[in-house]
Amino acid sequence: MVLRTPRQISWMRFKRNKAAVISGLVALFFILSAFLAPLITKLVGVNPTTTYTKALTQYGMPDGPWGGISLAHPLGVEPGAGRDLLALLLYGSRISFTVALITSVASIGLGMLIGITAGYFRGRVDAVIGRFSDFILAFPSTFMIVALSLPLVQRVEALHVAKDNGARIVVLIIFFVVFGWPGFARLVRSQALSMRERDFVMAAQALGASNWRIITKEILPNLWPTAIVFLSLSLPGFLSAEATFSFLGVGVQAPSATWGLVLSDAVTYWQTDPAYLIIPSAMLVIIVLALNLMGDGVRDALDPKADSR
Amino acid sequence: MSDKNMAGTRRRIIATAAAAALAAGGLLVGGATGASAAAAKSGGTLYMVTHNGQFAHADPQRNYTGQDIAFFNTYVYRNLVVYKPAAGPSGSGLVADLATNTGVPSNNAKTWKFTLRPGVKWEDGSAITCADVKYGVSRTYATDVITDGPAYALSMLNIPNNKDGSSQYAGPYKKTGQALFDKAVTCSKDNRTITFNLGHSVADFNYAASYPAFGPVKASKDTGDKYDLKPMASGPYKIAKYTINGEMDLVRNPNWSKATDIVRPAYPDNVTVRFGLDSNVIDQIMLTDSIPNTVNLDGLQPVNNQKFFAEAQYSARRMNVNDPYVRYYGLNSSPGHLDCLLVRKAFFFAWDTQALIDLSGGSQFYGAIGDNPIKPVLGLDYAPTTGNTHDSNFKAAGNPTYAKSLLDQAKTVCPATYAKVTGDVGLSIDLPNNATQQKASVLMKAALSQAGFNVKFNFIPGGQYYPTVQDITKQGDASRAGWGADWANASTVIPPLYLKDGGFDLSGNWLDPVYAGFAAKVTAALAMTDRPKQAAEWKSLAQFAMDQYWISVPIFTKQQLDWGSKVGGVAFWDPQGTFLFPALYVK
Amino acid sequence: MLKYVTKRLAYTLIVLVLVSLTVFIIFNFLPIDPARLTCGKSCFPALIEANRHRLGLDVPWWEQWIRFMHGLVAGRNYAEGSAALHCGAPSFGYSFNQHSCVTTIIGQAFPVTFGLAIGSFFLWIVLGVTLGVVAARFKGRLADRLATAFVLIGTSLPTFISGILILLFVALKFNLLNPIEMGMWHSPFTDPFGYFKEFIFPCITLALAYAASYTRFTRSNVIETSSEDFIRTAKAKGLSNKVILRKHTLRAALSPIITIAGLDFAGLLGGAIITEGIFNLPGLGRLSLKAVLIDYDLPVILATTLLAAAFVVVANLLVDIAYAYIDPRVRVG
Repeated sequence: MVLRTPRQISWMRFKRNKAAVISGLVALFFILSAFLAPLITKLVGVNPTTTYTKALTQYGMPDGPWGGISLAHPLGVEPGAGRDLLALLLYGSRISFTVALITSVASIGLGMLIGITAGYFRGRVDAVIGRFSDFILAFPSTFMIVALSLPLVQRVEALHVAKDNGARIVVLIIFFVVFGWPGFARLVRSQALSMRERDFVMAAQALGASNWRIITKEILPNLWPTAIVFLSLSLPGFLSAEATFSFLGVGVQAPSATWGLVLSDAVTYWQTDPAYLIIPSAMLVIIVLALNLMGDGVRDALDPKADSR
Repeated sequence: MSDKNMAGTRRRIIATAAAAALAAGGLLVGGATGASAAAAKSGGTLYMVTHNGQFAHADPQRNYTGQDIAFFNTYVYRNLVVYKPAAGPSGSGLVADLATNTGVPSNNAKTWKFTLRPGVKWEDGSAITCADVKYGVSRTYATDVITDGPAYALSMLNIPNNKDGSSQYAGPYKKTGQALFDKAVTCSKDNRTITFNLGHSVADFNYAASYPAFGPVKASKDTGDKYDLKPMASGPYKIAKYTINGEMDLVRNPNWSKATDIVRPAYPDNVTVRFGLDSNVIDQIMLTDSIPNTVNLDGLQPVNNQKFFAEAQYSARRMNVNDPYVRYYGLNSSPGHLDCLLVRKAFFFAWDTQALIDLSGGSQFYGAIGDNPIKPVLGLDYAPTTGNTHDSNFKAAGNPTYAKSLLDQAKTVCPATYAKVTGDVGLSIDLPNNATQQKASVLMKAALSQAGFNVKFNFIPGGQYYPTVQDITKQGDASRAGWGADWANASTVIPPLYLKDGGFDLSGNWLDPVYAGFAAKVTAALAMTDRPKQAAEWKSLAQFAMDQYWISVPIFTKQQLDWGSKVGGVAFWDPQGTFLFPALYVK
Repeated sequence: MLKYVTKRLAYTLIVLVLVSLTVFIIFNFLPIDPARLTCGKSCFPALIEANRHRLGLDVPWWEQWIRFMHGLVAGRNYAEGSAALHCGAPSFGYSFNQHSCVTTIIGQAFPVTFGLAIGSFFLWIVLGVTLGVVAARFKGRLADRLATAFVLIGTSLPTFISGILILLFVALKFNLLNPIEMGMWHSPFTDPFGYFKEFIFPCITLALAYAASYTRFTRSNVIETSSEDFIRTAKAKGLSNKVILRKHTLRAALSPIITIAGLDFAGLLGGAIITEGIFNLPGLGRLSLKAVLIDYDLPVILATTLLAAAFVVVANLLVDIAYAYIDPRVRVG
């Protein structure tokens, strides 16, 4: 009998879940290719800003079936302007992944901080934080983001924090975090509440450890599994949220491209060039699905009771 | 602002016929309009579909969009004079409608008289009187309630202005300065003849009077802002229902009598306009002919348009015509923007006009490269300009090398502007936020970067587009726009486009040192009554504006109409730039 | 109990007031000037100021807020002279863009949103709970696997993609929807067939997104409850599996679902922006989207935002009271 650390046990459990491993690999593949976009496009010999007008017919439609898929353009070309679809999606998913990652980490960090504070200090602090998160959750988030993003982008630009699409990304991230942290904070709060009553915290308190020390040394390490589960489950959520908002015209704008922008453009061509609509939507769904499956696997591995499979 | 695809065009034009051709009234319009010789039929429901959520305005004094004017003048309201409901050039002549004549000028065209036709009634059965017309005209002066309408009454009638440019008459709601208006517009004792006293000679005032803004409104039925939802009908149909983002239902108006109306055959029993439909849904309706009694008010999206016009099965349901508009980009020449002729010129020559035309349907459907803010259909006022698109360095697909050389010269001549457009600040282009313009931005960036510009885009939501770019403090360096003459006189092109108070000046040129001399000439030309002399003046002013590169490459655009298989009598109404609505019937 | 309800009610009111204040402050400090937007052509400074006055934007934000609140209770007047207008209480303001009182506009849009919410609510509850129960009952077998697959696809398909695919490749492709009827309101009471035809596809789109999480939740809840003591007791008493499932397990497993469903439903009442947009439904979601993205119609934006927030807050209140009623411990804690 070999003794294993909890981490090893979790890893064993994850490895046994075939669906999770495969989807994890798929997700890793997409994430890697997004961050290696410049390299990949160079290898294929395409460029995201070049307009390959030669690949278009005189009416601006891709020359050839299936959206003009060819050796030169593995996923076809964009009708109208003639940019390479593979390059567009690769560079677009860079933006989407970046937004999803930063948002997830930031809202989990903020949620963790606030949740622990509420759970550990209880009483009035807890009540104020609870009411405040109720207050935040009362706002119709989708609509607030749509309504406020344009003027806020102008504000951010005026402050010289970032410009153009940079400013739009900053605004989107801020919004996602503002509306994203309360959910995680609630989860952490209840865990912190119960952990407070556990022996090791009581012992530390009895030994006269400072609150800060107890929080950082005793409570925080025990919250990591929760954070990792939440991270892996919120990543696909923020990814599709980013796509949804750029589809609505909020977020990154042309001439840059993201999933949402490509899809909102593709709707016009649903009859004349269906491949242009179907390829990007299928890819987005595959990525989100893979991330979701992987997230489920991570959760099962770290916290087997959560979803009694 | 016929802004149907938020593409940015306003108002309309007229064909070659000279403005003085005052068509005599009295000819009845049959169904035989142009192509369709088959007998027109009464009855049925005519559907119209559009992706817009509503008519820009239904209030006669606020209506200033070619298609909306044509629609309401045909179905809902009657007007002193209207364009002749006929296809081809003759459609650009005026016929008397509510009046018995097309206007009688006197006093060197400073006084205009119209006599009303007897027996014409409102929807509520009361007679339409001179007082109603006078009240209608007065509403234009209530500029805080009656917004967006044409300002012709304000600029033409003999009522003095305040120092800030507003009129001393504040309209019928506040009644400040009512006496001034009562002096400028008078009614005869029998309440049937209306007289307009103008501040200066206007030889073609009756063309301005063809706007519903000069039409009647009954004072007791005026509901202010809400009149825009339900104007009282005087035409063959009344509004039974109008919900924004929903539909407008027109039913026959029992108090309209055919005997008093020589322009409206009024074939269908009902007209229903469906608003807010998705463009993809509209295209699907038209492509499959699933609702055959439908007229498409928007035109198809470029990609479906090509399919529709290429395949023989649709040949009986389509029409490709020259529209009244010139499309261009206003180049903001005010300080801090493109305040350097060389830079504007470089922009002009770097522009990939061909790619942008191709994106929107190619020269077959979108339009041809032009050389003038005045469209050739204006006949008298148009002459090819020199330089610009006739320059040997001009290439349809852009000439980055030449543009670059111009920019290099600018580097020494105006270093600040050069630094701005090539540096970090960049050159910003204002575009209405829609799919086509987003795609166009890709092409613009590709072409302009080659010449050395650093390009940025400012996508503005549709409804905010014109108010934003018309505000010089918010305007970027180049703003997409389009304009059509209001009638066959470039007095409705040059002044609005290039005078500070013209209403549509996107060139910020009033801070340019050359402006003062230019503006003086425009003002002088406006008051000329010798038409050929005036035309010569417009030609030379257009040449001057082009030489200043106040606008980018103009496109003389085309327009396509499409309709269902059960719609008969379809023709194009040249001056209104849309369907010849009076002739439409359900087969 | 009464004391608890009063306390919660007061708290809800405070939140609503705070939300409305926040919204007013936020929109007041935006760099867009609605007065400039209404000015049209031939604009000069005096006219912009006149429009600012007409729109009621010439006073500080707190006074605008007081006027708004007063309008809610007592109605409001707009414009002057013979062009004066009145919007009766509860007045959410006047839209100069749509030439109507905002309350009237909302009154037209709300039934559509409600029709969509109630239809999809019904669909997702039936679909989600049934699938969840079946999956739990046949845990580990084919039915469970299929339910899991449904859950995964449902949670991974963003609404805007499923909506587009359903609209374009099902409804329009096979002519299942009369396109000219799209977006016309049919009441489920007077015209059930018309309602069904128009709402079935958007309802399916929304239900797909929601049902998945309900399936997952129901499944795990049923499994968890099945192992609890009172179920074991029932089994020991010799009750049949069916009776136990129906009478005991479901009752215990579904009560938390009902509260979540209540909150989700309330969230939808504020308007389903994406679904309404794709299917041309003239509900609150599309109204607000158009007001923001096209017209910048401030009174409509304020009203729809506040209304959506009010639905969420009130639903929270109702859920809390319901909980307090079921579980007396809540009242003290």
